[in-house]
Amino acid sequence: MSVRVQGLDYGKLTLKDALDLAVLIEEEAKERYTEFADQMQLHHNAEAESFFRFMAVNEEKHRAELAGRRARLFGDQPATVSSTMIFDVEAPEYDEARAFMTARHAMEAALRCECKAHDFFVGVLGHIQDPAVRELFDELREEEVHHQALVKREIERLPPDSGFKPDDFADEPVAQ
Amino acid sequence: MNCQPKDYKSDLKPIWCPGCGDFGVVQAIYRALAAVGRPPHEIAFVSGIGCSSRIPGYTTAYGFNSVHGRALPIAQGLKIANPDLLVLCAGGDGDGFSIGGGHVAHAIRRNLDLTYIVMDNQIYGLTKGQLSPTSKLGLKTVTSDLGSLEAPVNPLLYVLSYGAPFVAQGTPADMAGLASVIEEAIRYPGFSFVNVQSPCVTFGEDDWQLKQHKAVMKSVASLGHDASDVIAAMRLAQAYGSELYTGVLYRAPQPPSTYDALVRERQAEQQKKALPRERILELFAAKKKETAA
Ligand SMILES: Cc1ncc(C[n+]2csc(CCOP(=O)(O)OP(=O)(O)O)c2C)c(N)n1
Ligand code: SF4
Ligand SMILES: [Mg+2]
Repeated sequence: MSVRVQGLDYGKLTLKDALDLAVLIEEEAKERYTEFADQMQLHHNAEAESFFRFMAVNEEKHRAELAGRRARLFGDQPATVSSTMIFDVEAPEYDEARAFMTARHAMEAALRCECKAHDFFVGVLGHIQDPAVRELFDELREEEVHHQALVKREIERLPPDSGFKPDDFADEPVAQ
Repeated sequence: MNCQPKDYKSDLKPIWCPGCGDFGVVQAIYRALAAVGRPPHEIAFVSGIGCSSRIPGYTTAYGFNSVHGRALPIAQGLKIANPDLLVLCAGGDGDGFSIGGGHVAHAIRRNLDLTYIVMDNQIYGLTKGQLSPTSKLGLKTVTSDLGSLEAPVNPLLYVLSYGAPFVAQGTPADMAGLASVIEEAIRYPGFSFVNVQSPCVTFGEDDWQLKQHKAVMKSVASLGHDASDVIAAMRLAQAYGSELYTGVLYRAPQPPSTYDALVRERQAEQQKKALPRERILELFAAKKKETAA
């Protein structure tokens, strides 16, 4: 049995494809966190901005580590998977962002992403036959558990929730 | 040409409200353009005015954030003047179906080969949340404190009734589906229309955001819909506002001739009847002599 997600047959992934995919997943998350940080900067929301930048740096570290591993094992062999084959695997969904979100909201959004990515790897693991690919995806799944713990620790350090609702405020574009 | 979605992303940072549906729409456009593979300098992207109409600036295509409701006339002029361009046109529900509503019918009957993407959020976003033509009956906004008294325009039925040869709907809640209908629309040789349910997080309805889309959207392909059957498409389109159908509703199996192709044919015919260049110059010279004398 195989599982197709956005046109990709996960049952047939080779280790090279799996590494390329993992790099793309981290890259997408890094880019999205950077976009979110830029959005927050535009809306003068420094606390959410700095958390999203912190997440972007983390995702980039992970991406670079995976890209290095891919280069060591497969050199510059061309990739057969592309960024259009994935969407929102580990990246926060666009509608998670709000102009007035607090650091707590930002961290909770990141936590949902780590859980979502974990569920993604659990979902595809059941369909992968290649032992090397299984090992890689299992490692990535395990990493999501560590990331969840990391974000949870950050949340615990925050002052108690004030009950502030970002949806009660708007900072929409200026009319033309 | 091997194009990647990021080749179509400009350096301009979107000023949309964080959480706006339009962020997903522009991503879907990057993906669709990469799949089609035309380089940015061969693409013209025209919009009207509205939050959604800022979209050309976030791409590397030639962009024109034009006048409210006038994206289609400008896009048509561009296509006739330079038929080799891939012409995209986009805007909001207000831009397309109130102030610009009259242009839609004529763009359809002319059938130029261009793609019109409407980001339908059922509200005037940019001007701070007034009723739009697709706002539902009873909606309370800053301009309708007691609820709207007007039935909404149905964009899908509207374009189908005027004979649009390609009609689709999508939502950024289904990125793969949205990118694929936009790609198909671009590839379709004629006027193609994509209605995108793109929620306004700031002034839109709380219960019609991407999370709700995800829960209720239904792909027309999964319903066994035959996209070559215009009557079946109209039947599905009737459900606008109550069901969220995604995918291609109608694709005319025999694409009708496009206006740009007909213009070129006529130009070629007229060219045959035209006098040779030398003869025209002779006539000018003779006329000049005659006036001087
Ligand atoms: C001729 C003219 N009339 C009115 C306006 C004011 N105006 C700007 S955007 C807009 C409507 C925006 O709604 P929509 O097209 O749905 O775009 P959205 O902002 O929701 O994406 C209006 C009425 C204008 N700019 N020009
Ligand atoms: S006002 Fe609405 S449509 Fe405009 S940018 Fe904000 S969320 Fe998007
Ligand atoms: Mg609108």
